[in-house]
Amino acid sequence: METTAATRAVTHILPGKVGVWWFLASEVMLFGGLIGSFIVSRLGSSGWSGEAAHLSVPVAAINTLVLLTSSMTMVMAFGAVEKGDPRGLRTYLFLTVLLGLTFLGIKAYEYSSEVAAGFTPVTGLFWSFYYTMTGLHALHVLAGIITNLALFVMARRGLRNQHRVELAGLYWHFVDIVWIFLFPLLYLT
Amino acid sequence: MTTERARPNYVAVWVWLVVLMIAGVLASYLPFAKSAVIFLVFVIAAMKALLVALYYMHLKFESRLIYAMAIVPVVLVIGLTFLLFPDLVFHH
Repeated sequence: METTAATRAVTHILPGKVGVWWFLASEVMLFGGLIGSFIVSRLGSSGWSGEAAHLSVPVAAINTLVLLTSSMTMVMAFGAVEKGDPRGLRTYLFLTVLLGLTFLGIKAYEYSSEVAAGFTPVTGLFWSFYYTMTGLHALHVLAGIITNLALFVMARRGLRNQHRVELAGLYWHFVDIVWIFLFPLLYLT
Repeated sequence: MTTERARPNYVAVWVWLVVLMIAGVLASYLPFAKSAVIFLVFVIAAMKALLVALYYMHLKFESRLIYAMAIVPVVLVIGLTFLLFPDLVFHH
């Protein structure tokens, strides 16, 4: 079923969807710029990336698993909207929020142990990159959690306007994709 | 929002994502040349990103406009990164 908003739009695509993709395009440039700078700096100089040995791959791998699973629960929430299942919607949104908070919790644990070991954002070039990239990403995760929480509260009142779940899902999947690249970039290479 | 479109198996996609993640972590310990390992790890990451983009973000089923908005910035970022190589990587 096409909504009125979609039929009135020139492209016949839900305007909100076009808007979110535009926003994601700008976010690609933001994170892409940081990732590109890291790659270029790393290839241009030598040695400083050895600092990555001080990161914990197992902890970050668990975090990657958490975020991947949250992407699945988010898209299941969208599936619940399409199926007209309000209970499923609330359950999956709740799980997504929970997993998002778990990600931030694990990240906070990582940061605190790294700072305790003496690695702060000013310790060196690698650490500047690490804290900037993962910190900016974590802020994006937080924004997504707040959005999903708002949707969860709204979902308790029923299924109207829940096409927003799809739009919030697009943002959340993007945040997941950024981490899919940050994890190998910072931890595995 | 249409309900008639074919819906991918989200759980199956998740299984693949987990498998690829484990493969990526294991690959990083392979005793090959560093650049080969890095390349492999990134290929795996790109495959994961594609799975999320195509199936979770439904890019596979969207119009060409949406697809263009997703692809163009990625191409730009890759291009801009490589443009910096002569100055910052292949030393002066």
